[in-house]
Amino acid sequence: MNTLKITAGLAIAAALLPFATSNPTHLNLAILVLMAAQLGVAWNLLGGYAGQVSLGHAAFYGIGAYTSTMLLLNFGVNPWLGMLLGGVTAAALSFVFGWSCFRLKGHYFAMATIAVAELVQIVFTNWDYAGSAVGLTIPMGQRGWGAMVFADKAPYYWLALGLLTLTLGVTIAVERSHVGYYLRAIKDEPDAARSIGIDIARYKQIALGLSAFFTALGGSLYAQKELYIDPNSVLSTGLSIKMALVSILGGVGTLFGPVVGAVVLTVIEEVTRVVFGGSGRGTDTIIYASLIVVIAVFYPNGLLGWLRARRAQRQAERAPLAQQAAR
Amino acid sequence: MTAEILLQTLASGVLIGLIYALVAIGLTMIFGVMDIVNFAHGEFLMLGMYSAFWLFALYALDPLLTLPLTVLMLFAFGMLLYKLVIKRIVAAPMLSQIFTTFGLMILLRGVAQFLWKPDFRSIENSWVAGSVKLAGIQLGKPQLVAGVGAVVITAVIHAFLTRTRLGAALEATAADKEAAQLMGIDSHRMFSLAWGIGAACAGAAGVLLATFFPIFPEVGANFILIAFVVVNLGGFGSVTGAFWAGILVGVIEVMGGLLLGPQYKTAVVLVLFLAVLMFRPQGLMGKA
Amino acid sequence: MRRTFTKALLASSIAIGLGLGVAGFAHAQAEVKIGVIYPLTGPGAAVGAELRSALELAVDIINNGAPGIAELPFSAGKGLPNLKGAKIKLVFADHQANPQTGATEAERLITQEKVVAIVGAYNSAVTATASQVAERAGIPFLNPESSSASLTARGFKWFFRTTPHDDLFVHNAFEFLKELEAKRGIKPGVVVTLNENGLWGTETTKLQAKLAPEYKLNLVKQVVYPAKTTQLTSEVQTLKAAAPNLVLQSSYTADAILSMKTYKELGFSPDMILANNAGFTDTDFIKTLGKDAEYVITREVWALDLASSNPLIKQVNDLFNSRYKINFTGNSSRTFTGLMVIADAINRAGSTEPEAVRKALAATDLPGSKLIMPWKGVKFDATGQNTLGQGILVQIVDGKYNTVWPFAMAAREVVWPMPKWDQRK
Repeated sequence: MNTLKITAGLAIAAALLPFATSNPTHLNLAILVLMAAQLGVAWNLLGGYAGQVSLGHAAFYGIGAYTSTMLLLNFGVNPWLGMLLGGVTAAALSFVFGWSCFRLKGHYFAMATIAVAELVQIVFTNWDYAGSAVGLTIPMGQRGWGAMVFADKAPYYWLALGLLTLTLGVTIAVERSHVGYYLRAIKDEPDAARSIGIDIARYKQIALGLSAFFTALGGSLYAQKELYIDPNSVLSTGLSIKMALVSILGGVGTLFGPVVGAVVLTVIEEVTRVVFGGSGRGTDTIIYASLIVVIAVFYPNGLLGWLRARRAQRQAERAPLAQQAAR
Repeated sequence: MTAEILLQTLASGVLIGLIYALVAIGLTMIFGVMDIVNFAHGEFLMLGMYSAFWLFALYALDPLLTLPLTVLMLFAFGMLLYKLVIKRIVAAPMLSQIFTTFGLMILLRGVAQFLWKPDFRSIENSWVAGSVKLAGIQLGKPQLVAGVGAVVITAVIHAFLTRTRLGAALEATAADKEAAQLMGIDSHRMFSLAWGIGAACAGAAGVLLATFFPIFPEVGANFILIAFVVVNLGGFGSVTGAFWAGILVGVIEVMGGLLLGPQYKTAVVLVLFLAVLMFRPQGLMGKA
Repeated sequence: MRRTFTKALLASSIAIGLGLGVAGFAHAQAEVKIGVIYPLTGPGAAVGAELRSALELAVDIINNGAPGIAELPFSAGKGLPNLKGAKIKLVFADHQANPQTGATEAERLITQEKVVAIVGAYNSAVTATASQVAERAGIPFLNPESSSASLTARGFKWFFRTTPHDDLFVHNAFEFLKELEAKRGIKPGVVVTLNENGLWGTETTKLQAKLAPEYKLNLVKQVVYPAKTTQLTSEVQTLKAAAPNLVLQSSYTADAILSMKTYKELGFSPDMILANNAGFTDTDFIKTLGKDAEYVITREVWALDLASSNPLIKQVNDLFNSRYKINFTGNSSRTFTGLMVIADAINRAGSTEPEAVRKALAATDLPGSKLIMPWKGVKFDATGQNTLGQGILVQIVDGKYNTVWPFAMAAREVVWPMPKWDQRK
């Protein structure tokens, strides 16, 4: 009951935020959090629910960003449509990837994802038609919801919030459907699952396809926000790591884990850089990295996992007392 | 594209491959013994390079002379890192392990920049400066010495693992931790040892590299991806595998770059890597 | 009752008077905040630190003065005269070579710190996104060092760039070759380009391919490579296979150093290496390579020996050197100049209103004698590009950068060809 109230409260607060503050910096921070959260939730579909750790998700992100941008610049395709097409392209390519790599286990799969993402980055770096290393610039000429380009921050906030809500909604739907049921089985007891006839590859692929689709949408949003993309900004391995990191910090395999992780990680990153970054000594990097190590070491189930464990412990402690009181 | 150039490139590829091998050996040992992928491995390399540099800059001691000292220091550092951080995540989920070492990677780079500034350093006029001509092929002396050094160190490690009791204990822990514990082998001691040796190998590679490669805080980033590929190719946990895979990757990288264009040299290695993963995931010499 | 009222009136008058006085006093000592976004950590931090020093020196001169350099604007040190002596305050931000971080910082500087203008960002990709934010917010963005030509081709109103861009720089190199042949009969021969395959190297590669036939150069091969690499063997062997006389090279610091070492290791001795600034003019280049850096020619934007035609160059460099123990480079001198230009514009505007500053920037007309750059001056065209800038070419001889082109400004003759590796002492 409490969780529902907290969730509802936060959702209302999130919806009202642009009315409470018109400060673009705060809004921008909120947008960064929402975008990071959305990518984390998308990653979580594969990494958390299906248990396949991908460290190469930036490939889908970049494919989304490049597809919608190239369609816009070369064929005048509207970014809304381009975004969808980017998602479809990423999902389609994920099929190739899944078919060839899903039989790899644990570390091998993770390494394969890194290799694929690096390859995609090399391809785009050397592909003239995609702008190669020079990158692509989206002109600011047309503005408004039709063109998905805005001078203000508030519309981007709504977009990011909407995308996050959509991705969360899909995650809930998957969690409660038979797909989610099978995925849990596959993740926890793959041999048992196989023995009762579940087509493991098929369900993993569904998770991967959805994950790729939504990650790509996030990439298109980035392109429309910053209006400039190049291989380093949308295809780097560092980005892939961040997408996974957000889920791990918050709690892998939970619905809101990535959201919590996104808040914590983005806030830490921004605050350390703003407060310490100006000096140039690198203190912000040291603080940021130390925090990552501390959280990874002491909270292996993420912050959300830790909170839940604490609550369960408290309830267990309270139960015998309640029994005593009842006597 | 004359035969001379091809042969020359092949030789260079073997030499850089030996460095890759030395870096990867440390990485594969850590993985083999305790199943942890160490993202911070490139930073051991970086620390080895800085150690060689400072001993040279402050005391005018040649890197080859200070190699044993650097190796010892990195060995101690590796064990310290295990005791302070890694010990706590031995039983944690793979993701936590990945992110702990990833965080360490950023932390070490940040500390290096903080302490030594981001400037580029180099070791000039070391004992091994210059080139030699062997059988018509021109080879840099630093690269040649580095290659020989890598072979020697690999041989030592191999001998240690196969001919000493401690080495056998390490291998036993890698093969089956619980069984080894039942035989009285303390897992934590073995893990600590693995980290120490892993760091020491990367540190040694750093010293050898420092005689010809520029030194800066982020230098580990240039080598870590290749190190992962080599470890996978050779087979997680196999020192001999890492050795041969390193040479193979070095050769393929430079030959691929020469024949297809240097902008694709990494792509060639990655494609090979994915092909191996597809058809022989355990690598050349890994356990199936 | 009346006495109380009078007392109150007197008290309030004094209070108001004091208040106005204090406000007036504070206003006279008001600050003009300028945001500066540079790579202070991560890749590029080495250059970022130097640029930071250049900015701090510029601001210190404007705020506190510097004796003996009367020609330099603001050297009296009384702040900005037309704004009642307001001092400049720099607000530093670190973009970590990440375009999104650059944009985020620009956002913060504009909306939180309320800066009057932004100066930055060295990396062209970050300048692209950060200036995008400034354009949307209607705040002037002054770019002193990014060379990607496309930055001034976006139709922006608020973007101003003082440095020449890659198109001009590639022209410089080719003009030099043409004039060298005319003057001393030295032919370039077989030409090969070796460029890193990031944004800057890729643009340069394309420009070189476009201009080579116009200048009748025999360009036989263009090699591109990833800057973040462990070895340059394939690259150098590819060059060797092409047997060139002249190598046109664009590299960052680590790969510039590594390439020179590899040339020596593999015995690759072309007649000349004509480099394109960046790594080759980095303070660490000569420091790390020592004698192995000799005879390389590189395009630059600034050189100490040009002080003979413009004494300001040496005077300000002496100040810089006394404080930071290093000389200016083409990068740090351009950053210094950038801050001077924006200060000049804000001063002429007489206000911190964005539109007023923008108009003042557009009307900038600084003569070369007031700059520490070997330029004809600073004057922006309709796209925000300074049309009076130019590059120079320097050659490393005796461990120093010596201007060798334009010939009218040269400090010495070009040494061509480079002595082969085994013929050097």
